[in-house]
Amino acid sequence: MSDRRVAILGGGLYRPGRVRYDNAEEGVAMAYKNMLEDFPKLDPREIEFVQSSYFSDHLNQQLCMAWIVQDYIGQHRKGGYRVEAGGSTPLDNIINAYYLIKSGQYDLILVLGWEWMSEVDTATTNEFIASASDTDWDFTVGGFYNGYYAALETRHMQLYGETIEDLGRIAVKNRNNAIHNPFSQWRAEHGTGRVTLDDYYKDRIIAWPYRRWNCALISEGACCLLMGSEKMAKRLTSHPMWIEGVGLGSDSMRPGDRLVDWAYHGVHKADERLYPANVEKPKTPYPEMANFGFARESAKQAYAQAGISDPLKEIDLAELFAPYDGVELCLYEDLMFCPRGEGKTMIRQGVVERGGELPCQLSGGLTAFTHPVGATSLFQTLFLHWQLAGLIKKKLGDATLQVKNAKKAITTGHGGTGCQGGVIIYSKD
Amino acid sequence: MARDPKIIEDRATPIKKEWEEYARKGNWTVKGYEMVRALSGPGLEEQCKEEDFMVVYRPHGVLYHHSYGLVSKFFKGLIERQLYGTKCPKCKTVYCPPRVHCWNPDCRVADTEWMELPLRGKVHTFSVMLFSADAFLEMLPFVLAYVQIDGAHTAIPIQVVTAPTEVFIGQKVNIKFRQKRTGDLMDIYAVPVKGQKTPSDSCLHRDEKNVKDLNRDMENTYAFLDKRFGIKKKDVEKRWKV
Repeated sequence: MSDRRVAILGGGLYRPGRVRYDNAEEGVAMAYKNMLEDFPKLDPREIEFVQSSYFSDHLNQQLCMAWIVQDYIGQHRKGGYRVEAGGSTPLDNIINAYYLIKSGQYDLILVLGWEWMSEVDTATTNEFIASASDTDWDFTVGGFYNGYYAALETRHMQLYGETIEDLGRIAVKNRNNAIHNPFSQWRAEHGTGRVTLDDYYKDRIIAWPYRRWNCALISEGACCLLMGSEKMAKRLTSHPMWIEGVGLGSDSMRPGDRLVDWAYHGVHKADERLYPANVEKPKTPYPEMANFGFARESAKQAYAQAGISDPLKEIDLAELFAPYDGVELCLYEDLMFCPRGEGKTMIRQGVVERGGELPCQLSGGLTAFTHPVGATSLFQTLFLHWQLAGLIKKKLGDATLQVKNAKKAITTGHGGTGCQGGVIIYSKD
Repeated sequence: MARDPKIIEDRATPIKKEWEEYARKGNWTVKGYEMVRALSGPGLEEQCKEEDFMVVYRPHGVLYHHSYGLVSKFFKGLIERQLYGTKCPKCKTVYCPPRVHCWNPDCRVADTEWMELPLRGKVHTFSVMLFSADAFLEMLPFVLAYVQIDGAHTAIPIQVVTAPTEVFIGQKVNIKFRQKRTGDLMDIYAVPVKGQKTPSDSCLHRDEKNVKDLNRDMENTYAFLDKRFGIKKKDVEKRWKV
């Protein structure tokens, strides 16, 4: 593999909200402008390639919106294309830019991401998103990701014994982080008061076992990143964030097919053995409908590249792509922060809380910060960049969320019910 | 010379006529607008300024024709009150949902064989839906389950018609056909086999607060159903007594 190093040099954002009235290209332009303020030495003409990510053409009655955006900010003439893979869209965007720079093809890439999700009513937004599930099969019977994910969590809960309270703890943690993030939708809508488990229990059930608080937000927002080679990093910033490892993986399209999943059969033997003895075993016990195989596969590749053998000890913070709180709990396991079935102890013992050994979702994550699908991982990566660069106080006006001496971070992305996804490891040096 | 596709059964012509009208109505042209004064700008609310935005309303109505491909037999089977799966002759895996090609790498995309499946299965996992997409709102609250049909190795998504507080993982169910069938998975539903005891370790039932909270929030769903569709709680409960 090429030994060129690739870095996130910086980025900019357009504050996400439930409904915004500046349109997508204007939002992206403002995020880009926000980014340029941090790069006084950058001539926009130097950008060699523009990569865009947005998830849905349905949501805005517009195909190829990337072409509108790229020309709107005067970045046309040069090459560029859209990367799309459901919820994994923005993570794949970053990974693809990484490949292009690492290969030596380019030295400086502008990575754009956005989503405008409120042009149709909430039920229709959910329906459009759910059309990323198999529309001949799963979609027909419920048409709603909340339902599929809730069913996956029910299974994990039955196998490994986490409780509604554990899901509540995660929801509360993420909100109490988000109150220190002024760009978070939670704070914009609910203010800066802390919440408790009692508040969580008052919240409405959407798809048992999930309450509204356990579910991803609907958002309109934009974010951009400037990615470059070592040469560009040296010239343009004093605090690059390096990509130390990436990995990609996938799970079956239809979750029900994971009971006999020949691609995974016998691959993760230790996890297969951690299947509870009192439950009838399906043919393929891991990931089954309980865990996320894509995350395990991605993490293995990314950790190997980054030289990580004990992620819990070596990684300082995580921004996970967890559209539902049960996914966050499962990812603790699939990313090998803990063994399969022990996700619940991570939250019960405070490991993933602010101040814990491996804080997760300090930004608030997808359920309390924001989730404009095509931009989500860009927002999370920008947040990690601020963390590793020690810029949290400067950017958020509040140092509470700053992890001291943070050196290594992880982020994940995935689409569908884990159908495709990946992992990126970032480091300060 | 290529042979032209031939329609051998037509259950679509009246629908095509009906939907022509929707296509005409839903043709992306502006039907109305609003002027909206709202915040503009990338930063925090206090840094944004108010601007006036013109917001237009554009509909989009379409009718797709979509082939179910080589699994058409499964969906035609639903209309004819039969449940089919497929079996790989090499690795013997039974698929429901059916695959006409085996996905086991050892079988090298082997052609599978059709087989009839019994109208029985068990709940592999489930969710209780108290909110859903537009098409399903009137059916709320409902149980979305993944059911493993007896003899199949995979699980199929299906609604279990039961009081949502009574479903559990491992529950045995019978598969029933709806009176009106259109050729999708909603043509079938599951009902629990009578006389089963809820296991004490069922994740929904092991803490009684779970059921209490679910009942509390189902009341909100009933209120919504009444307001939006005039559907009463007792009508909903009647559905579960099959």
